[in-house]
Amino acid sequence: MAREKAVEHYDVVIIGAGPAGLTAAIYAGRARLNTLLIEKSLVGGLATYTNEIENYPGFPDKPKGEEITNLMKKQAQNLGVKFKGVLVQSVDLEGEEKVVETFRNKFIAKSVIISTGGRPRTTGGRDEEKYLYDKGISFCATCDAAANENKHVVVIGSGDAAIEEGMFLTKFARKVTVSVMHDKGIMDCNEIAKEAALKNPKMDFVWNSVVEGFEGEDHLERVVLKNVKTNELIPVECDNCFEFIGYIPNTEIFKGQINLTPRGYIPTNEMMETNIEGVFACGDVRDKWLRQVATSVGDGAVAAVAAEKYIAESETFENYIMQKEKPSLIYVYNAVDQESRALLPVVERVEQELGGAIQLVKVDCYKSQGIAKRLGIETFPSVVCTQDGKIASVLNENLNYDAIRALY
Amino acid sequence: MKEVILDCMGEACPVPLIKCQNKIAELEIGDVMIVQIDHSCAMKNVPEWANKEGYNCELEEVDDGEWEVIIEKSR
Repeated sequence: MAREKAVEHYDVVIIGAGPAGLTAAIYAGRARLNTLLIEKSLVGGLATYTNEIENYPGFPDKPKGEEITNLMKKQAQNLGVKFKGVLVQSVDLEGEEKVVETFRNKFIAKSVIISTGGRPRTTGGRDEEKYLYDKGISFCATCDAAANENKHVVVIGSGDAAIEEGMFLTKFARKVTVSVMHDKGIMDCNEIAKEAALKNPKMDFVWNSVVEGFEGEDHLERVVLKNVKTNELIPVECDNCFEFIGYIPNTEIFKGQINLTPRGYIPTNEMMETNIEGVFACGDVRDKWLRQVATSVGDGAVAAVAAEKYIAESETFENYIMQKEKPSLIYVYNAVDQESRALLPVVERVEQELGGAIQLVKVDCYKSQGIAKRLGIETFPSVVCTQDGKIASVLNENLNYDAIRALY
Repeated sequence: MKEVILDCMGEACPVPLIKCQNKIAELEIGDVMIVQIDHSCAMKNVPEWANKEGYNCELEEVDDGEWEVIIEKSR
């Protein structure tokens, strides 16, 4: 028999405390939203696996990733954000009340921000886990290339990322050995990258090879490759190894609810909105071009402000626009449209004539179409008439005084 | 289903982890163990161990530099 789960209510629940989630939490906290941030392992996300972050603006002294994210955490805590260190087991995101469940709690939120990030795919080679991240196996040349001045590095993979990042590494490293699983001359990357790579004097290829294992005292010293045709083992002495064999977004629990790309990323628009109203995605989990702390931070800010707007709109919609006390005349217009503006005095005249018997609400859709969407209005200008908190009629063509007046 | 508190305050690694491993062996499936720690290294290795063992686990910062790790012996 399972224990009863404690229910807690929040304005916003953020899943994943990497730079995107932490930034979203800072913005949500500062907007006075009751905010919960849930993280399954360590606060800071993938950024904490990096020893030096040299390209995050404002931090010129190459701090550890953890130093930056710990400051972000402190900032979020100062703004009243609550933290929980636990795995999210399931979500139910449809509808106005979003449900996020852990093994002990059921969190009910008005809005959910997904910032679950991703993880690099690994080779599964022998003892790989001993050398991950700061012990010699890296997944990001943009992050770690500069630390390989005059060293010998091994790159695993032959896709665009592997070859392009491998070429970038040759600017620093003495030698770059690339393990390719295909026959000589065959790579998964684009032709231009392939030509350039084959001509690069610092690049060396081991064809028909995969990783068998990793060896070294404390730090990686040797990658043992295996020829897939002959099963011959090829030990390669090196300083560091970069694996570029793909990236797996952490979206398993959202499958079937949130739209995902074929690779499992969450597509969003510019406001970080997903296909479900009130659910936003930001950071590495999003389908986007560049995955960096700097871009995650930007995403997080947008997602939280969009969530705040969504919640405010929901409240306005329920408490004001769809009020039950008296009939409403809701005028949905676009302030930059001449025809829309011309009708403003007309609706005001109708309101005056009815003297307090109705409530006039003017909804300008220029900046946000959220409320229009909730009303099911797609053309502007439109007039919506409500009775007892429900839509009674909608007018969206031939709008004039007589037509509007006739509604009441 | 009982709930036990394991006080590891003031204890440095690896003592909290070893205490957890010993204590959980006495518990039955469904029981919950609340481990109190104030050593930041245990804040990492206790949840890591619990997750690896497949137990449900939650880390809560109860005060500045003080944590509770709630572990359910879920299997």
